[in-house]
Amino acid sequence: MLILSRRVGESVTIGNDIVVKIVSLSGNQIRLGITAPREVRVLREEIFETMQAENRAAANPSDPARRLEDAHQRLRKKIQERADD
Amino acid sequence: MTEARAPIAEPAALALVGKEIAFPEGLLGFPDDRRYRLGRFSGAAENDSPFFILQAVERDLSFPLIHPDLVMHDYRVAVNPAILAALKAESESVLVPFLIVTVRERVEDITVNLQGPLLINTVALLGRQLVLEEYPVRYPLIQPEPHP
Repeated sequence: MLILSRRVGESVTIGNDIVVKIVSLSGNQIRLGITAPREVRVLREEIFETMQAENRAAANPSDPARRLEDAHQRLRKKIQERADD
Repeated sequence: MTEARAPIAEPAALALVGKEIAFPEGLLGFPDDRRYRLGRFSGAAENDSPFFILQAVERDLSFPLIHPDLVMHDYRVAVNPAILAALKAESESVLVPFLIVTVRERVEDITVNLQGPLLINTVALLGRQLVLEEYPVRYPLIQPEPHP
């Protein structure tokens, strides 16, 4: 891991078009300002990991036919209410 | 701003069935799988299941999906210009959201991922998984009946 020291107000550039700026410091909390192209997804690491884990949990369900049919039966009432709206 | 609502599935969602949809960044955790086909999950007798299946084109990888309307009445995907640009969409009207369903043994334990919806451009056939931190990752598909 590359480790750099920066002061508040200073920045680090990554590649050609990503800039990470130290905006402020308060106790053990640091505020970062991140400038990146809009196709670059910027997420807090724990959010990224949670989302990856949930996608993996959802992939290739076992016996989806039966379980989703059960769920469908339970949703019928709601579907009907929607249709009646 | 009003949003069209329809039972079971929006016509725009149904129109995507059988189409190949590109996810240029893949889904989170699946960055290398970028081509999918949307299928309709077939119900028991009549084909009226509200579930869809997103099937990877190049390998055996699939995700059950549902349209948000059947899950949460006032669910909103906030679309900003960056998302429109990423999906090559001129307006929100060509975008359809889906939620990934995490199927579990007991039907009461099945959850939908409100935090990570898929947004699909129905014209360009481009998709992207968004991250909406204000919503939960595991929201029960079947909500308990309200007591009278």
